[in-house]
Amino acid sequence: MTRSSTSLLPFFLPASGGQRYCLLHLPAPESGQKRPPRGGIVYLHPFAEELNKSRRVAALQARAFADAGYSVLQIDLHGCGDSSGDFADARWAIWRNDVHLACAWLQQRVSGPLTLWGLRLGALLALDIARHPPVPLARLLLWQPELSGRRSMDQFLRLRLAARMLADNGQKEAPGHARAQLAAGQNIEVAGYTLAPELVHAIDDIDAARLAPTAPAPAVPVYWLEYSASTATLPAPAARLVQQWRSEGAQLHIAAFDDGAFWSSAEIMECPQLLQATRQLCGDWLTEPGSVPHGR
Amino acid sequence: MPHSETVNEALETSVRQILRATLGLGQRPLTAATPLLGSLPELDSMAVISVITALEDHFGITVSDDDIHARHFATVGSLVDFIHAITRPDR
Repeated sequence: MTRSSTSLLPFFLPASGGQRYCLLHLPAPESGQKRPPRGGIVYLHPFAEELNKSRRVAALQARAFADAGYSVLQIDLHGCGDSSGDFADARWAIWRNDVHLACAWLQQRVSGPLTLWGLRLGALLALDIARHPPVPLARLLLWQPELSGRRSMDQFLRLRLAARMLADNGQKEAPGHARAQLAAGQNIEVAGYTLAPELVHAIDDIDAARLAPTAPAPAVPVYWLEYSASTATLPAPAARLVQQWRSEGAQLHIAAFDDGAFWSSAEIMECPQLLQATRQLCGDWLTEPGSVPHGR
Repeated sequence: MPHSETVNEALETSVRQILRATLGLGQRPLTAATPLLGSLPELDSMAVISVITALEDHFGITVSDDDIHARHFATVGSLVDFIHAITRPDR
């Protein structure tokens, strides 16, 4: 797909403690004729270095959505990317507020249904937001969602151990040291990012399997893309949650992609399978009315 | 720990598949003797964590912080031995 008539608008959105860097992908008007807007999509990026590693694939998908007629808003959350604030200032509540702002901003400008699309921890943030959405949401699109905040933080803290193992400089860190520092209310540094205990502890408390006591499964349709050879070979935690959500009556659509772990890969990747699988999985809202659907 | 003959082949195949998929190694040959740490440029700290996470998900195990250690990540064989030791029922 080489249509490049979609437009890209970078801007800063005023928010608490400064401003947030945003990128707005707008659909191209079709052959000079203004077509009706199909809706808005807010993209929530993953955590720390994964944000940088995944920029390319997120941009490719955002462009594909714009090609299909959607307006996509990518927002760098507080303390991340090109937004105000240091990573140490980031808090889950501020991020939630940033998402509220982004949704309201987009909905004021683009009519049609609003989709929240998140990658990794951004997907867990989308699930958390969907419990009490600031504006009505049409659906969630989850790319390789983090399912347990606690586990995602434990994995991130392990980067300190892995970095020391790779450096092999003889410095050893006692296991659990990072957690102990956080419990004592101290900031810690991991892979060049300073984390406040308030942020880590807030993320620890979010679990996709326990979103709300009364309505555990998301109330809006969920489109889920998971890195796996097929949906028959999902990692155990994902398979468990799929089963749980289905038994709770969630409208869940799931597909697998096999390109690779682009959010953590040493090489910047493009993910044709993921983009293709997303297009197919989301066919019911992505395929243009009147156009010939692909493979359905 | 020497690479044991008793290590189940299915386990070794799984570990090789996880390394391939997580590190994006394509069809590059991987044998028990293939060195990992310090030899594979793909194996940076984020990749180490991804490999561990994928192993945990696949085998339903938990790798402790103590075990994020160079001795287990020296070669494909040492990683297989390590996973074998964790998954052994008589542990």
